[in-house]
This record gives sequence, structure tokens and C-alpha cells, in this order.
Amino acid sequence: MTDPEDQLFTLEEHLAGTLKPITPPKELVSRLRDRIHFPERGEIVSRLGNWKRLFIIYSGVMSGMLVIITVARALFYFWGKRNM
Amino acid sequence: MPDTEFNEDDVLTQASQGDRDAFGLLYERYIDRIFNYVYYRTGNLHDAEDLTARVFQRAMNHIQNYTDRGVPFSAWLYRIAHNLVANWHRDRSRRQEIPINDVPVLPSKGDHPERNLVRSQEQDALLRLIRKLPSERQNLLILKFVENMSNAEIGEIMGRSEGAVKSLYHRTLLALRDQLGDQNINLDGE
Repeated sequence: MTDPEDQLFTLEEHLAGTLKPITPPKELVSRLRDRIHFPERGEIVSRLGNWKRLFIIYSGVMSGMLVIITVARALFYFWGKRNM
Repeated sequence: MPDTEFNEDDVLTQASQGDRDAFGLLYERYIDRIFNYVYYRTGNLHDAEDLTARVFQRAMNHIQNYTDRGVPFSAWLYRIAHNLVANWHRDRSRRQEIPINDVPVLPSKGDHPERNLVRSQEQDALLRLIRKLPSERQNLLILKFVENMSNAEIGEIMGRSEGAVKSLYHRTLLALRDQLGDQNINLDGE
């Protein structure tokens, strides 16, 4: 008669051997992607990359404009004060 | 490309604002896991494909409702999958059509391809017994062995404490052992 703990251990080993992760076929993954209308991963990553780059450029331009406007306002203020 | 390349929180924020590209990245990250779960719960490749697609469609339609309250996105996805599989079983029990042992052999990760062609009678018997377990116990075994999750992670998905999962797991093993005994299936006889 096998020890009950050993039986459970053996069962766990068999479960690990039976319930193994499987790789879904590539064509299935791509078929599903088409069904849900997603672009390919590479395309998504590059689009997100471009989006990030555009965002950085836009932020840079806006920050630059803000600095220029602030400096201009300061100059106008001092120039106006001197002429009073 | 490595899977860790993007920050999931950022991508989740973008996806919840309706960005389909961002959701596409989540799809790529979780497709294997969700497919595995659904496949083992249905034992049917065709339905697994259909249900997996529906899981992601539903997730995409409701992602704005997902808020990180300590429950990871993966747990949210598994809950959607669990609900859809439960509905599928309910519909199927009304129609009574698919043979329970009609489980095609798909390549396991890290296995030699030739080994996958042969699944032992023992494994078939064990799979049949697992499918007869209550749904909650099937979930537990799949998450533990297929998805390699800890009791704490399983608890997050099942809405139970770590201790409750541990206890349920032990009871599941005992039940399986008894059923194997009842059917005279000897796992030691390799």
C-alpha cells in the first residue's frame, strides 16, 4: 500500500505532465487577430513609437513657444517701466 | 520582440481611451494564456478559438470599465474567459453534442514535437476525470499547472483567499485520487 502523501505527490506529477501549456497555432493567432481587427504586433509597436515621437516633438515646440512668450512679456514689462 | 518591452499600465491607459493598437499589444501578451485556459476548459479547438476571440472582443468593448483596484488585468481577462466558458458549458449541456474525449493534441511548450503526437491513455483518463470535476476545481488545476500560477495569483482570479485556494487544491487532489481508485486507474504503472 502506497503512502497517501506519496499518492498525492505522484498525482501532482501526472497532472503536471498532462496539463501542460500549449502553443496555439500561429495561423489561429493571426486568424483571431483578423477577427478582432488588430494590426500586426510590429506595426503596432512602430505606430506607438511614432506616436510617442510626435508627442515629444509637439511638447518640445509648445515648451519652446512658452519660453519665448515669457521672455517677450518680461522684456515688454521692463521696457515699459523704463519709458514711464 | 521581448514581451517586457512595453509598460502595461501605460498601454492599459491608452487602451481604455479607445486605442485599438494599444489593446493589440495586450492581445499579443495574453493570447497564449487565455487560449490555453479556454482550450483546457472546452477540450475543443474550434470552440476554444471562438471563445478566445469573444474574450478579447468583450475585453476590448469593456476595457474602459477596468480599473486597477489591486486586481491585475490578467485576472480581469480570466474572469471574462471564465464567464464565457461557463455560458458555453450551459448552452452545451442543453444541446448535448460534443464528445468529452475529443481533445486534439497541440504542441506543448518546450516539448519535443514527436512526443506530442502520443498522449498516453493515462493522460487521457486523467483529462476525462478533470473535466468531470466542478468548474471551480477545473479552473484551479488549469491555472496551477497550465498557467503555473501561485495560490495567491489564483486567489485573485477566483476571488478567494490564498488559504482557501490551498485547501480547495488539496480537496481536489483527494477527489481525483479517489476517482482514479474507483476507476482502477493506476498512475504508478508506467
